[in-house]
Amino acid sequence: MTKLFPVSINVNGQVYERQVEARLLLSDFLRHELGLMGTHVGCEHGICGACTVLFDGEAVRSCLIFSVQASGHEIRTVESLGTPENLHPLQEAFSEKHALQCGFCTPGFLMTLVPFLEQNPHPTDDEVREAIDGNICRCTGYEKIIEAAQEASKKMSSR
Amino acid sequence: MTGKYFGQPIKRLEDKHLLSGRAKFIDDIEIPGMLHAAFLRSDYAHAIIKKIDVSEARKHPGVVAVYTAEDFGDYWKPGPLQVPPPTAIKGSQFNARTLVPIAKGKVRFSGEPVAIVIAESRYIAEDALEDIIFDAEPLPAVIDLEKAWEDTSVKVHDDLPSNLAALVKQEAGNYEEAKKQADVVVSRKLYADRVAGAAMENRGFVVNWDERNQEMVVWATTQAPLPLRIAIAGKMNLIENQVRVITPFIGGGFGPKIMTSQADDVLLPWISMKLNKPIKWLEDRRENFLATTSERDQVHYCEIALKKDGTILGFKDVFYHNTGAYDPYGMTVPLNTQTHTVSNYRIPNFYTEIRMVFTNEMVVTPVRGAGRPEGVFVMERMMDAAAKELKMDPAEIRMKNLLKPEEFPLKTGIIGQDFVEGVLDSGDYKGNLVKLLEMVEYEKFRKEIQPQARKEGKHLGIGVVAFTEGTAVGPYEGARVTIGNNGKVSVATGISTQGQGHFTVFAQIVAEQLNVKVEDVKVITGDTNHFHWGAGTFASRGATIAGTAIHNASVLVRQKIFATASKFLGVPEDQVELCEGSVCVKGKPEISISLGELAGKANPMRGAVEADVKPGLEATAYFAPPHGATGSGACAIIVDVDPETLKIKIDRLVLVHDCGTVINPLLLEGQIQGAISMGIGNAFYEKIVYDENGQLLTASFMDYLMPQATDMPNKMEIGHLHTSSPLNPLGMKGVGEAGAIPTPPAFVQAVEDALIEYNLDIADSNLNPSMIFEYMHRSKK
Amino acid sequence: MIIEGEHTFKGPREVVYDMFNDPNALATAVPGMQKLVKVDDTHYEGAINLRIGPINASFAGVLSLSDENPPESCTLNIDGKGMAGFAKGVGKVHFTDLGDNSTLLKYAGDVNIGGTLASVGQRMIDSVAKSMIKSGLEKLEKTLEERWQQK
Ligand code: FES
Ligand code: FES
Repeated sequence: MTKLFPVSINVNGQVYERQVEARLLLSDFLRHELGLMGTHVGCEHGICGACTVLFDGEAVRSCLIFSVQASGHEIRTVESLGTPENLHPLQEAFSEKHALQCGFCTPGFLMTLVPFLEQNPHPTDDEVREAIDGNICRCTGYEKIIEAAQEASKKMSSR
Repeated sequence: MTGKYFGQPIKRLEDKHLLSGRAKFIDDIEIPGMLHAAFLRSDYAHAIIKKIDVSEARKHPGVVAVYTAEDFGDYWKPGPLQVPPPTAIKGSQFNARTLVPIAKGKVRFSGEPVAIVIAESRYIAEDALEDIIFDAEPLPAVIDLEKAWEDTSVKVHDDLPSNLAALVKQEAGNYEEAKKQADVVVSRKLYADRVAGAAMENRGFVVNWDERNQEMVVWATTQAPLPLRIAIAGKMNLIENQVRVITPFIGGGFGPKIMTSQADDVLLPWISMKLNKPIKWLEDRRENFLATTSERDQVHYCEIALKKDGTILGFKDVFYHNTGAYDPYGMTVPLNTQTHTVSNYRIPNFYTEIRMVFTNEMVVTPVRGAGRPEGVFVMERMMDAAAKELKMDPAEIRMKNLLKPEEFPLKTGIIGQDFVEGVLDSGDYKGNLVKLLEMVEYEKFRKEIQPQARKEGKHLGIGVVAFTEGTAVGPYEGARVTIGNNGKVSVATGISTQGQGHFTVFAQIVAEQLNVKVEDVKVITGDTNHFHWGAGTFASRGATIAGTAIHNASVLVRQKIFATASKFLGVPEDQVELCEGSVCVKGKPEISISLGELAGKANPMRGAVEADVKPGLEATAYFAPPHGATGSGACAIIVDVDPETLKIKIDRLVLVHDCGTVINPLLLEGQIQGAISMGIGNAFYEKIVYDENGQLLTASFMDYLMPQATDMPNKMEIGHLHTSSPLNPLGMKGVGEAGAIPTPPAFVQAVEDALIEYNLDIADSNLNPSMIFEYMHRSKK
Repeated sequence: MIIEGEHTFKGPREVVYDMFNDPNALATAVPGMQKLVKVDDTHYEGAINLRIGPINASFAGVLSLSDENPPESCTLNIDGKGMAGFAKGVGKVHFTDLGDNSTLLKYAGDVNIGGTLASVGQRMIDSVAKSMIKSGLEKLEKTLEERWQQK
């Protein structure tokens, strides 16, 4: 039988203890072990950024990390931002600016932009552009995502 | 036309779920007891299968079953012809060789499935693939289109005399005669390279045969749920309503997700029924590149005949079109190329010939643009070549030849993908270009900005092109609009949605007619149990064709509301009006009945109803246009090229567009911007490359480069013109592909202009730095 | 993929030629080679583990010799397959006696690769092949030194 390893991962504030195979990707752990389907997998080779989550506060690609590596760490996924009834200001801005179409890439963009806007609350357009350069969106052409990030920065600083 | 809701920039209703990670996509579907599938795919592009030994894989712990073509017995059959060729084109030849679900005897492209493993988890299924011994004897691969056309070529299908998949000749006027009258004739060989749809979500398929209910439920990432249902029912020998196809949220379509009758949707229903188990298959990114269809790949031999003053007399285009190893999608793509080559300009004489060839590559079916970008690229490139020859300004030669509004409707004499002669219904093509030149400040650029930049040693160049987009094609779509007892409205239609915003735009159409809040309209797309007639989402026809059907159904419901309300309120029909969410008597808003209550009254549970009255506040309607509506536009790109590094920065990108009536300007802009980014990708980053042995060299995002945020211009400047289409009551034309069509020719023209001292003559639609270097190098010599 | 190059060995031609016909010498020279077993005079069966960019996979295959013309030249054929694809190639090796006990090796070959190897490893494969050849030749150089000295 395949060897299982115990992991204990704090996801969105809750600690989960599981026995997993060494090769289980963090993205698969979140999606299929925990049922947190908001994290999407677009390439599984670290390029598209759809699977971005926060790892101890930093944006990382969950398809490039094994769940055993996340043991003892804090993970935040898109589910931790806002609910449909009560969206996070960044999520609201995405909707207002029409920064999503199919929405598949969106959780990755959100999780990239959340720590970015925390560190850089008043970015220039070019800074936002740089920040999201590792995330691919096939639908929007990025312009409205940049607008949304700017809108969110306004919303967040006026709160 | 703008109303209270129609034409307004309304935020999307679907966003909240998508943004909070609560929307259900295909991989989010989990069913207890579900098994997982993985395909073993051939590494060879062309080979005779000698042996596939799956005995070890079958023993692998956690593996439930392993199948090869032989195991499917009589069920194994080449798939249906998804799009038949038009019979209206006289003298055309077409050899149908439809996709086989899993290779038998011979492999015809690298990535073709040869075995399938069903296991308890995806990880196990993939592990077990390694236990399969696949032994095949490689054959030379057919890759080069022109060589493939030769009778001496190796054949992809041994039972055919050659690799000819189709030969179509169409002529309007008489090109050879026109050529005799010409002052100049310019000819070129041009290439349109292959690109992928590359939706961020790969394809997926989940099927559950419910033995007790004798029903098969399928979740699929398809753009065409109803055709998929027909296909599955047909294969499984079920009646259509025993198969329910549901499309969850789909992470982008762009064309390739319209293909049915591939390994997944043919084999998995059979296996699910056999094992009596739910099964999930999810493609990975490499499979998506290898075994999901992609498009473009044409070689054109063009000739344009003109008078000295730049007036076009005729155009000739003989082109090779790669259909891949099979041609299940008929001739849609090259026919679109034919119809779009000459759709902008007045071209009295046009000869066009399709030479569609089989190759040992993945099947070609539409990708956003679907043959249109190739046609427009070819025409625009030839306009550039003619302008050079005649020493005319590229904008001027275009202005001279663009069709005028009074010329519409204009019959083109060329039969298109919708099987009827092309008719350009409406538009102001010159107006598009005039507006574009204003927006981009063309004069100023030529006279001041560019010369100044040159002085400073900067290489700025501009490209200006015009284009059309054939949209809103038939055959038809339908919809049912129902008012619920709670006063909310539901709309069901047969198409599916991949991010276009149908949940919102359809709600706007209904809300406008029924005077209800947009958020009170629930739109259901892509569930065959809710609506079971329709063709699907493609060719920019969702909002236009299904949207019109929804409009028509809403108008009927509105009439019914008036008729029913007049009875209950005891006043004549012309005395009632819709107040938000209710019906009231004109001038006496205090006398009213809510829509929900009225819906209850329209559906009495006891007593008698009049014989011809249908229950409920509900109506179903259809819409079938006589032919497609043509959107149009013009596009300018200004690039800044560094001749040393060949890094190219897009300084400005301006696109003027006319898609008739607009339902939601915010979403319209989104569609255009997204397509522009795809066009930019196609022009300078993306390219599917097969080597001479048929090996796909670009099967990851490391090799297939997608445009990223920093590759885009700072702002996409979009201008709008609105000429209504006479083909539907709302005057709409589609827009989904517009941005992707003009970008490559505008980009190429701009690069040539920026490097004017090198006198480049670029023939490719997809450039990259090393290709431009090559061109510069060659022209220096 | 075209592979060509040359290398000068410090050793007499016969010894160099023999070394190229010795599976053990070859097996230790090729990085990642797990085994190389002689089947008959001209055929060897082998297994190799390769790391090319994102791919890390093992291949099994046959190495055969033909057109043997000792000690001047021979043709090497490889035909390998694994989960990550296949490689099939022909290479001509030619040995020239340069006098002073050194031998010039010239090699020229064409290898077709397919499968994952081609579709996701293609960018890296050229440089991987070059570095494998380079380190292989260095190893052979050492082997040669030992053998030559033993004699
Ligand atoms: S899925 Fe992780 S980067 Fe694409
Ligand atoms: S919204 Fe579809 S990929 Fe970004």
